[in-house]
Amino acid sequence: MTAPRPNSLLCELTYRCNLQCPYCYNPLDLQSYRQELTTAEWKRVLDEAVGMGVVQAGFSGGEPTLRDDLPELIAHASKAGLYTNLITQGTFLDDAKLDALLGAGLDHIQISIQAPTEELADRIAGTHVHAKKEDAIDRVARRDVALTLNCVLHRGNHDQIGEVIAFAERHGITKLELANVQFYGWAYRNRAGLLPTRAQVEHALEVVAEARERLAGKMRIAYVLPDYFGGRPKPCMNGWGQAFLTVTPDGRVLPCPAAAGIKTLTFDRVQDRPLGEIWESSDAFVAYRGTAWMPEPCRSCDRKEIDWGGCRCQAFLLTSDAGKTDPTCELSPEHETVIAALGVESDTPLVPRRMKSLV
Amino acid sequence: MRLHKDTDGTMLLLVPEGILRLNDTAAETLALVDGERSVDAIVDALGARYAVPRAELGRDVEDLIERLTLRGYLTS
Repeated sequence: MTAPRPNSLLCELTYRCNLQCPYCYNPLDLQSYRQELTTAEWKRVLDEAVGMGVVQAGFSGGEPTLRDDLPELIAHASKAGLYTNLITQGTFLDDAKLDALLGAGLDHIQISIQAPTEELADRIAGTHVHAKKEDAIDRVARRDVALTLNCVLHRGNHDQIGEVIAFAERHGITKLELANVQFYGWAYRNRAGLLPTRAQVEHALEVVAEARERLAGKMRIAYVLPDYFGGRPKPCMNGWGQAFLTVTPDGRVLPCPAAAGIKTLTFDRVQDRPLGEIWESSDAFVAYRGTAWMPEPCRSCDRKEIDWGGCRCQAFLLTSDAGKTDPTCELSPEHETVIAALGVESDTPLVPRRMKSLV
Repeated sequence: MRLHKDTDGTMLLLVPEGILRLNDTAAETLALVDGERSVDAIVDALGARYAVPRAELGRDVEDLIERLTLRGYLTS
């Protein structure tokens, strides 16, 4: 089978981060990623991606602004014609850093907040950062760059969704992303304490519908339903190895940012093989590309090229087999395991994301 | 947002974490959007190239600009 052309590359520059959000999708074994790619290696990755037809580059982490070469990498990507997106928690965006990033040609910044109020936000982040973020948001909003505000929702902040929208309005945000936590990495570890209740999700849908109507033309609001409530799975990454690739801090190439969680696959590294070759023919990319790997009920499903069997990482986490139908699909024979999880609410303390040996 | 010529010659509109594939007329219209030209001037420029009634061109251009503005990609 010939590989389709990728259009987006996510560069996870580092997994270092000064925050300890328990909903992080990064892997639990953060310390095994401490050997980070060099500036020259990242530039080569960007060049190879452009040669493969990629037009969008995301810079993420961890916290990507902890890499001093971030402006240099953005300048390199931008000169090569890539549209550049920075996904940051914003605590290091002082004026000098912003000048450097915008001077490099950065097109879009996404800043995340943990909650609309300082006390709750700082509790979730595990450190005092909310005030700094609020300041960064205002500074970016005054600049000539696209800005998205993001807030990851979970049981501990879902009821503040109206206040998140009000926060966005106060700060003149035109694009707000209310993203329900996705259960990978640390978030999966903390799932019992993070999963929103059905009542919370229903309430949120009402609040969002009202706000969308009231703010039409001023603010666009995306509300991403939690997978476990959707009925049908999300078309994860628009299909495994169809359009999107991620490179981890240590050079592993993944079809999805959470794919390292699939312990039955090995992922080739950009230090060992050209990116294009990894995309086209490495075992991990070929494993679940297209529809030939699909079991029933996917195989005969009329949505098989719409949702692509859902999420491989989720299938692995919930059934120990990445080749099964995503159990969040109501047609999956394993759907019961997901429904069972919805009944589990626990007061078990959340485990904060920690670098262990790194920080 | 940024206009980008794809390898097959199609024009792409690159927006935050998204890609819109443009048809030829949309691409030509957006190539004229520079923050200086008025909508009228854009319609005039297109009118000089196409044998389409001005009123129809005007409607199409306004429709395109309105849709992109609603999605937050253009500001007036």
